[in-house]
Amino acid sequence: MRGLTRAFALGLVLAFIATACTGGGTTTASPTAAASPTSTRPKFDLATYQYSLQTKGKIRIGTQEDNPPFSVKTPATGKWDGFDVAYGREIAKAIFGESDDPDKFIEWVPVTSATRIPSLTDNKADVIIKTFTINEDRKKQIDFTDVYFRTGQRILVKKDNTSIKEAADLAGKTVCAQRGSTSEQNITTATSGAARPLLLDSYPACLLALQQGQADAVSTDETILFGLAKADANTKIVGKYFSTELYGIGVKKSAGGDRTGFVDFLNRTQVAMITNGTWAKLYEQYISPVSFDKKRTPDD
Amino acid sequence: MPGGIAFEFPQLYFIGLWVTIQISVLGLLSALIIGTVVAVMRVSPVAPLRWIGAAYVEFFRNTPLVVQLFFLFLGLPLIGFRFSTDTFEHIFRGAAIGMGMYHGAYVAEVVRGGLLGVDRGQIEAARSLGLSYAQMLRYVQLPQTFRSVIPPLGNIGIALVKNTSLASTIGVTELLFAAEIVESRTFRAEEAFMAATLLYLALTIPLGIAVNALERRMLVAR
Repeated sequence: MRGLTRAFALGLVLAFIATACTGGGTTTASPTAAASPTSTRPKFDLATYQYSLQTKGKIRIGTQEDNPPFSVKTPATGKWDGFDVAYGREIAKAIFGESDDPDKFIEWVPVTSATRIPSLTDNKADVIIKTFTINEDRKKQIDFTDVYFRTGQRILVKKDNTSIKEAADLAGKTVCAQRGSTSEQNITTATSGAARPLLLDSYPACLLALQQGQADAVSTDETILFGLAKADANTKIVGKYFSTELYGIGVKKSAGGDRTGFVDFLNRTQVAMITNGTWAKLYEQYISPVSFDKKRTPDD
Repeated sequence: MPGGIAFEFPQLYFIGLWVTIQISVLGLLSALIIGTVVAVMRVSPVAPLRWIGAAYVEFFRNTPLVVQLFFLFLGLPLIGFRFSTDTFEHIFRGAAIGMGMYHGAYVAEVVRGGLLGVDRGQIEAARSLGLSYAQMLRYVQLPQTFRSVIPPLGNIGIALVKNTSLASTIGVTELLFAAEIVESRTFRAEEAFMAATLLYLALTIPLGIAVNALERRMLVAR
């Protein structure tokens, strides 16, 4: 299919250059503007990756099964839900057109923190939307979109804990974090290696370890801690941000033009989502119930 | 050089390897002890002992090792028991005991087969010579059993060494854990796991050779 796309691109090289010069603005109309209930699919330049996805009729979205409030797969129904999940559905709509059930165009790929990059480089997923912190090391391996969510790392402890108030208090304490995440490295940095990291596969497992006294604290991005604190009323979130986490959507680096225009397209989709209030709606639906605040853009 | 990354992160790889060796040795010893006791229970003349032995084997053989490890790690503290007040000691001991209990079920089945393989006439002869049941086991039935079950025990031992990698799921910093940490820091997945593979082979291949050598020696003695 990619070969075919490339052949089209060769044949239409003039058209391609023309649209590239105008920034592609005419070929990638805002999805919401283009989409009325009866409208057909959005139109894309033939050389772009979003076009080849549209032709294929499927986008593979990698996210985690137990990462509330961002992504949760309900075991009973097999349905996915959460901020990252809803964001993924918006992307699917932007590619395949408005739909009551965008999931019919989506293949959900379960990933963990450690498998996010390999599932892109091994071409198991088209995008990773999973509280994915943008950093320089990762940028060498994959491409990121613009920041779609901004948060920072804080600390979750039991309600009756009075000894841990800030990151510095974690020295000598057992701190649970997810293996292969930036949280683990931030803990080590913030305590100059004096904390004892207990590294597990997911944050619900960390919460269990905290509840049973196997860990003194859980530390990761505040938004994930919100989800845990909501699940257990006997816990509280303490301390100031000791890191800034900027989440982006991960995409495989374009090799031989196989991801042409994709990151730009995702960025434009996000601008449209912020402009038309979809982003704010998702934040209100998924994040506000645990954070008790409202945001209209990631930078609020 | 394949696996050269291990020397860039010796702190992670070789400490991880050492933890893997410790869990393997402790797990193997406890598996042998548990397995032998359960096997003797399963062939004993006392019916309730046979039932308990059978229940043990069926339970531990038919539930996933990861689930058993999680139970030891987080389930036991729920009912107020932990192997150590220190979390890292708790998960280390939990992993070693988990290895022993799970593989003990397999050892029990192998040893039971060996016990049943001993000629009935020898057992009756021993008993009629005035040996107690325990003496008969000790001097007649068990020695012959261990000689005949060395190859299948070797298989269980090798499986145990590889299964220690599951201890990483409860946070034990063993060899696979080390490889995953290195992978997440360097993104050199192929190299990171190649190094772990080679180190696992460095444990399992000599173990296999040792088992074969032991088997040959025991055959000559027979």
